[in-house]
Amino acid sequence: MTEDRPAALAVEGVVAAVGPLKILQDVSLVVNAGEAVAVLGANGAGKTTLLRTIAGLNIPREGTIRLHGEAIEGLPAHRITRAGIGHVPSGRELFPRLSVGDHLELGGRFSLPARRALLRSRVLDMFAVLRERIGQRAGTLSGGEQQMLAIARALMTDPRVLLLDEPSMGLAPKIVLSVFETFPILREQGVAILLAEQSLSLGLAAADRAYVMDHGRIVLSGTAAELASDSRVADTYLGR
Amino acid sequence: MLLLQLLVNGILLGGLYVLIAQSLNLIFGVMGIVNLAHGGFIVLAGLFTYWFATTSGLSPLFVLPLAFVAMGLAGALIERFLVEPLMLRERRADLASLMLTFGLSFVLVQLALNLWGSDFVSVPYLQSSYRFRGLNFDAALSISGVFAAVISASLYVWLNYTLSGKSLLAASQSPTGALSCGIDVGRVRMVAFGIGVGLAAAAGVLVIVVLALAPQSANDFTLLAFVIIALGGLGNYLGVVAASLLLGLAQSVAGYFWGGNAEYVLPYLLLLLVMVARPQRFRQSP
Ligand SMILES: Nc1ncnc2c1ncn2[C@@H]1O[C@H](COP(=O)(O)OP(=O)(O)OP(=O)(O)O)[C@@H](O)[C@H]1O
Ligand SMILES: [Mg+2]
Repeated sequence: MTEDRPAALAVEGVVAAVGPLKILQDVSLVVNAGEAVAVLGANGAGKTTLLRTIAGLNIPREGTIRLHGEAIEGLPAHRITRAGIGHVPSGRELFPRLSVGDHLELGGRFSLPARRALLRSRVLDMFAVLRERIGQRAGTLSGGEQQMLAIARALMTDPRVLLLDEPSMGLAPKIVLSVFETFPILREQGVAILLAEQSLSLGLAAADRAYVMDHGRIVLSGTAAELASDSRVADTYLGR
Repeated sequence: MLLLQLLVNGILLGGLYVLIAQSLNLIFGVMGIVNLAHGGFIVLAGLFTYWFATTSGLSPLFVLPLAFVAMGLAGALIERFLVEPLMLRERRADLASLMLTFGLSFVLVQLALNLWGSDFVSVPYLQSSYRFRGLNFDAALSISGVFAAVISASLYVWLNYTLSGKSLLAASQSPTGALSCGIDVGRVRMVAFGIGVGLAAAAGVLVIVVLALAPQSANDFTLLAFVIIALGGLGNYLGVVAASLLLGLAQSVAGYFWGGNAEYVLPYLLLLLVMVARPQRFRQSP
């Protein structure tokens, strides 16, 4: 990695625990601006813990996490969001009794008004169905609409790195495709994407590169093409 | 005409109850804890108001903004230095918070006993009444009920129509989601607790204008607020308004026909009824 242009996100030697249990062991990964990278792993591999640790919801015991060269590990979660890490958490974590419009407003709370207006029109162009549902409560949306809203809310924070935790969960393949179709638009804007996925085919289809996790460690990494042709991935780590 | 009169009194009393319950509900909604010191804050503010009004001769309503701000600040400090460390450290944080606020309630009651003794007192203020179309509007009850309703309505408007209010609702519906919007959830919790305690104090000022209070009344108010929230639904703001009006009306009618004791036991009876008939009421609505 050249020093003049640090990666959008650089995780180095991260060890993290939930309560007394050590979950992440010496995890390192890099995502460059405009790149989409997948973290693949079976149930319980540690993907959610990794994303939560990057987002500041879990404090790492060791290691560093840099956003465009600046160390962010140990900062409170809301500061990490404001620094430019957008998080679409596992389970979406919407506000069921607030409207779609409220979610966008809250996501854009800390952007300047002009920027907020631009972000809002961008996400509503990206997810046109949300425009029709703007006054509706999040709890009454369909699963696919909820996932789109979770992504839209994260995009309203104007992230430089977007963390997505299994956005395909519980969605019909057609809806998953329409969600993944937004990635190229974001990447053109220079957003770096880190996508956690259980599904090997989905993860490799959406990303340029991927890391495979098992028992809290990164066990393999490579380009999507390399990993797609590596039989160890499917056989050993993602248990078919 | 008599029924209409009882209806008017019941609604005014209900307006006061909305404030008493809503302040507890706010803290519950955001923090997930039942503040058992709620009634302690109410009587402390109420008795201070009595002391202020009788020594200065001024209207007790002057105390309203002062009590809100001073007790609100005290509430925020209590949240930051007592509640929050406990919630972060304890495994059974809900149980620990009950014990903490229960203990706090003793401290507040003892403080009030030491300062003002154990007598029931009430502010001799606005003993007149307005007549309108044959109905009697008791001045104290009218002013108290209307003030309380206006304060509760302001809380509702702030929560639902301003960005800072919506941030508070967001933090109560999903702390993780709120953090992912860049909202400082720790600060929101502190503000919510502070406002909840400040509003309890405001309620105390308005209560002593209408009812006689003593330090040992504290638990009656905590229970009253709890009954209303149980009836209206935990975290459900409009449900609580309906439940407050219902209880106010029921007490006004029961008090007239069966006397003060009936009025006094009514909340307890209702609580029993709800616990037997609708136990699911005690879980937070989604
Ligand atoms: N709060 C917790 N308490 C105890 N163990 C936990 C906790 N959170 C996660 N774990 C454990 O950490 C490990 C990794 O969990 P994590 O949720 O990060 O996996 P994941 O890869 O996201 O799995 P999934 O695909 O099922 O979402 C699992 O063994 C899990 O049981
Ligand atoms: Mg997960």
